[in-house]
Amino acid sequence: MSLGQFLLNVLILGVPFSVALLLAGLGETINQRAGVFNLGCEGIMAMGAFVAFLPPYFMAGTPLEGYANLIGVALAIAAGALLGVLFALVVVTFRAPQGIAGIGLQMLGWGAAGTLFRRYVGGVTGVQGIRAMPIPGLSNLPVIGPVLFNHNPLVYLAFLMVPAFWYLLFKTPWGLKVRSVGTYPRAADSLGIRVSRVRYQALALGGAMAGLAGAYLSLAQAKMFADDLIAGRGFIAVALVYFGRWNPVGVMGGALLFSLAQALQLSIQVAGIDFPYEFAVMLPYVLVIVVLSLVRKARMIGPSELGKPFDREQRI
Amino acid sequence: MKKALAVLLTLLAVSGAVYGAPKTKVKIALIIESTVDDKGWGQAMHDAIKAVERKYGSSLVEYSYSEKMKPVDAGSAARQYASRGFDIIIAHGAQFKNLILELSEEFPKTTFAFGTNADVGPKNVFTYMPMSEETGYINGVIAGMVTRTNIIGIIGPVDAGDSARYNRGFWLGVKSVNPKADIKIAHTGSFADYVKAAELAHTHIKAGADVLTGAAQQSTGGLRAVAEYKDKPIWWLGQDTLQLTMPEGFKVIAACSYDYAPVVEAMIDKRQAGTLGGENIPLTFKNGGFVFKYNDSVGTVLTADIRKAADKARADITAQRLRLDWQAVKY
Repeated sequence: MSLGQFLLNVLILGVPFSVALLLAGLGETINQRAGVFNLGCEGIMAMGAFVAFLPPYFMAGTPLEGYANLIGVALAIAAGALLGVLFALVVVTFRAPQGIAGIGLQMLGWGAAGTLFRRYVGGVTGVQGIRAMPIPGLSNLPVIGPVLFNHNPLVYLAFLMVPAFWYLLFKTPWGLKVRSVGTYPRAADSLGIRVSRVRYQALALGGAMAGLAGAYLSLAQAKMFADDLIAGRGFIAVALVYFGRWNPVGVMGGALLFSLAQALQLSIQVAGIDFPYEFAVMLPYVLVIVVLSLVRKARMIGPSELGKPFDREQRI
Repeated sequence: MKKALAVLLTLLAVSGAVYGAPKTKVKIALIIESTVDDKGWGQAMHDAIKAVERKYGSSLVEYSYSEKMKPVDAGSAARQYASRGFDIIIAHGAQFKNLILELSEEFPKTTFAFGTNADVGPKNVFTYMPMSEETGYINGVIAGMVTRTNIIGIIGPVDAGDSARYNRGFWLGVKSVNPKADIKIAHTGSFADYVKAAELAHTHIKAGADVLTGAAQQSTGGLRAVAEYKDKPIWWLGQDTLQLTMPEGFKVIAACSYDYAPVVEAMIDKRQAGTLGGENIPLTFKNGGFVFKYNDSVGTVLTADIRKAADKARADITAQRLRLDWQAVKY
């Protein structure tokens, strides 16, 4: 295989690998911009992956089979939003420590999804899932065609969401409210912005995106469900928000960098390049840690009230 | 009479050991990190113990299990079982080694077991080791004869234990029938990352592989990825016969799996004879520790020549005419 083909394969594989991280990362960006970090992202993704899997599994062979994936995605978004609201109840209304509550949510989502899966489905099994939808004309372009235009619809949707989230966050009144409650909630409150409501909305949206990310894994990438399907990707998504400096475009860059590194290390192994596989497997994670450490030295533009509960009655 | 006895002994030696029913009731506990229905590692041991339980009846074999036990959690479960008088406690996974060695001193009258591990443990600890190079070799023979691109992909979890043996046996099998085949091996670094196994399968296929195989429970992810190439001649060789019955089974040419029943029966037999442990029990074709099945509905890809070659390899391995020097394989 030529070097050009090798690199092209890395790009072709890296783009779809990045989608789950990107979707979850965009949602987590909104969470953190509102001042709440949600370590439960992993658990929400697990629940999203599970509920998305159910319609294609149970509707196979029925007249509704053609809509099963769509219903699955909708259910995953709804379940994610619901868990986001549950998290908001705990950390916004009851002002529980966000880190501990997030770990609790992670365990709840992971445990509930696994238990329900075994109760209603049983052992590991696959579904038809979402198929590739090459964009007519564009998918035949050299290099760029197979890299960008020969994927399933959720891949296109995920990348279209990047400018949409950027616009939402930086160009709309709601985005301004989100940023204000994450940066200086007391000032926002004094201006009549209902901090709790905005944080609830942000966490619901963040949860919906995590649910969608889970659906992507079970319906589009693995096309199956298993207990450990998420395998730490939710935590990586949280790290990518720091990596991307709380900006949707930066998060996309982080997701792509991580996934391309992942595709590169797999391709290096497959190519038989003499390199210890243990180091190859570590490569994407090491890369994220290195870049995160560099980010700390850069200008920090994150939400200053991140992780702090807001109580309007409490004096500073 | 002597001739008949000699024939009987020879048959026993070829077909593996035959164990009698336990003389007294034996209580067996299983501790696993995955689940008993994972269509792989955990289920293989669970099914074996259930088979032994069915064979002798619940009046002679009592069985209980604990799933999703991380090594840090497994200690409390194992202690509970030992305190409740369970005779044999199997912690199914090499990751439980330190825990079992520690507990074996605390409960010297209990038989503990863990695997896969080729070491011989203390006097009340059995270890077991599938000689997976045997199953790998047969799958390798098939892969070497099926491939058209001459590129074959292996999805490894980590390069250790029975996976390392399987992969190297597979390599030997391919090379025995197709010395020019290019065998690509890569590892995910995990036993249970189904998504990464699928990603690796896609990477192999992009690199030209048309026959893939993989070990550990994550391999289901690899098979699922292969099944996406529904109309293309890309095939899978399984390390678990349950994969033949999955919806993706139409891509599986043949599969091997572990049958731990001989290991479980050997442990019961030895314990009742007064040996609580201190031995390593291998799984081989000879002792019935492996099951091998073709997918009869896979179509023309499975030719008579391929069956003949694979059957011969299995017969030679079972009769120990073929010795597999898997440790010599460097890739």
